Amino acid sequence: MSIEIRGIGKRFGNFVALDNIDLTIPTGELVALLGPSGCGKTTLLRIIAGMESADSGHVLFSGEEATHLHVRDRHVGFVFQHYALFRHMTVFENVAFGLRVKPRHERPGDADIRRRVTDLLKLVQLDWLAERYPSQLSGGQRQRIALARALAVEPKVLLLDEPFGALDTRVRKELRRWLRRLHDEVHISSVFVTHDQEEALEVADRVVVMNQGRIEQIGTPDEVYSTPASPFVYRFLGDVNVFHSRLHGAWAEIDRSPAGLAANGGDGDALAFIRPHDIDIERVEQHGSLAARVQDVHAIGPAVRVELAHGSELIEVELTRERANGLALIRGDQVWLRPRQVRVFAAESAGEEGGSGI
Amino acid sequence: MPAAASRSVLPGFRIGLGYTLFYLSLIVLLPLSALVFKSAQLSAEQFWAIATGERALASLRVTFGASLIAALINAFFGLLTAWVLVRYSFPGKRFVDALVDLPFALPTAVAGITLATLYAGNGWIGQYLEPLGFKVAYTPVGIVVALTFISLPFVVRTLQPVIEDIEPEIEEAAATLGATRWQTFQRVLLPAIVPALLTGFTLAFSRAIGEYGSVIFIAGNMPFISEITPLLIVAKLEQYDIVGATALAVVMLLISFVLLLAVNALQWRLANRHSATGGRE
Repeated sequence: MSIEIRGIGKRFGNFVALDNIDLTIPTGELVALLGPSGCGKTTLLRIIAGMESADSGHVLFSGEEATHLHVRDRHVGFVFQHYALFRHMTVFENVAFGLRVKPRHERPGDADIRRRVTDLLKLVQLDWLAERYPSQLSGGQRQRIALARALAVEPKVLLLDEPFGALDTRVRKELRRWLRRLHDEVHISSVFVTHDQEEALEVADRVVVMNQGRIEQIGTPDEVYSTPASPFVYRFLGDVNVFHSRLHGAWAEIDRSPAGLAANGGDGDALAFIRPHDIDIERVEQHGSLAARVQDVHAIGPAVRVELAHGSELIEVELTRERANGLALIRGDQVWLRPRQVRVFAAESAGEEGGSGI
Repeated sequence: MPAAASRSVLPGFRIGLGYTLFYLSLIVLLPLSALVFKSAQLSAEQFWAIATGERALASLRVTFGASLIAALINAFFGLLTAWVLVRYSFPGKRFVDALVDLPFALPTAVAGITLATLYAGNGWIGQYLEPLGFKVAYTPVGIVVALTFISLPFVVRTLQPVIEDIEPEIEEAAATLGATRWQTFQRVLLPAIVPALLTGFTLAFSRAIGEYGSVIFIAGNMPFISEITPLLIVAKLEQYDIVGATALAVVMLLISFVLLLAVNALQWRLANRHSATGGRE
């Protein structure tokens, strides 16, 4: 089933949570709503589910008006960050719940329920835990049970609110790959909310980047990563913690470089964005390269991160191990930087979201 | 538990247990065993005669019957009160919350006199009830009113933390799975609350059984009709029939103990269902 969102707006007091959102989710796709906390992504998901009501706009399921439909009648499966399993029921009963509360004339027989629940538990590879209680399971197991429970009622849409947010890194990685495979198997339209860009890029067919109640960009993981539509997306999708790099300053300050900087701002101040792995370090000056001094060299796993000072600015460059070995950089070395790929945004649009990013 | 066998991280198991047992013996067990010893001065026939005397039996019926009704009323309205206090915010909520504790603090005699005055034929409430043929003060109904008043906080205070513990997401999950409000309450919320409700009920029930002060002012204390066992015991003491009084006390003690044991067993079974091997988070 496709989901259409038209002009959805939502305020909490003076705070604008969603500002006139338009979004179409085609049938069978796995879509990620990605953004920092407070960007409105969870509110949007809850409006799709019918747990929250929008102040304005419409939600359409398969082209049909669903804005005022009750949660119960929307046939959406919802997975919560903290699982929300029923503690006093066994795993089996948790999964069977949606079938048991159906009106009498729709309710499957006992044998049928047993068969369907067992099938679902096999699908999430936890059929051996059927008689356990949620408190006896690990976090990853609980979330898989929550997913099986949501799938039991054969929802037309699956909505997941930060489904891996409460799990530790290793389990999280495992589980998101597993979710991807599961989605390829059951092919149900799915929307999941996350603030983890790596998760969104790895799992989703399509990524919707949100910021301050608005959609910044919609595209495939590759599109949003390699051709960010705004400085915000550029900053948010870089590995902000470690490898993020920014070259601040006016256009002229990066020298009279012929590096093919596609300026979209015209005259005036502009900001150039370069990913840390899109810069090369050289010992010899070439036309268009920038002078810098090595501040620090860290080897991190397969990559080497170099911190350099260009004037008063700090620049991070990521090199492969081989390249770094070839250069043999030491702190204090004078080197030359050559950007391979640069994107420039006019200073007004880039400066707008101020301190976000790093 | 077997800290002696496997070393526990928590220190002081032996000394802790020792103090606990000593303390419980001194405060609870010693007076109770004195009671039993005193009543042992009676022969079995004498004991049986006192325990099954008509007046004694009638008073036991009144005591346990009224307590049961009061505890049931509180189980229902206490649940409602606790739910409202946890789930909704309204002006004066803190005030209402504090109000719940008042029956704990008020001297029970004061409560009894106040209730008796209110419900008497010329009282604020009684003047409207009595013309309708509904007598509260100086009847068993009055006893129930008094017992309901004094035992309310037990149910509310036991339920509040448990209801606070239920995340709203649980209800949302049930709704997305197609459950109606009633199904959500009945299948998801109630099972989570029932063990605590049972505890609250038990506490309220036992508190009501032991109540004396408030009841004697509103009950009228007519033998066979509105006389509670604690009053009968006091009456016997005033006639220097100490052995007879202890015999009655022992009977109350035994009945209460058996009832509490039964409720605890039921509760233990309920709690056990939730986590077969006790693997709580």
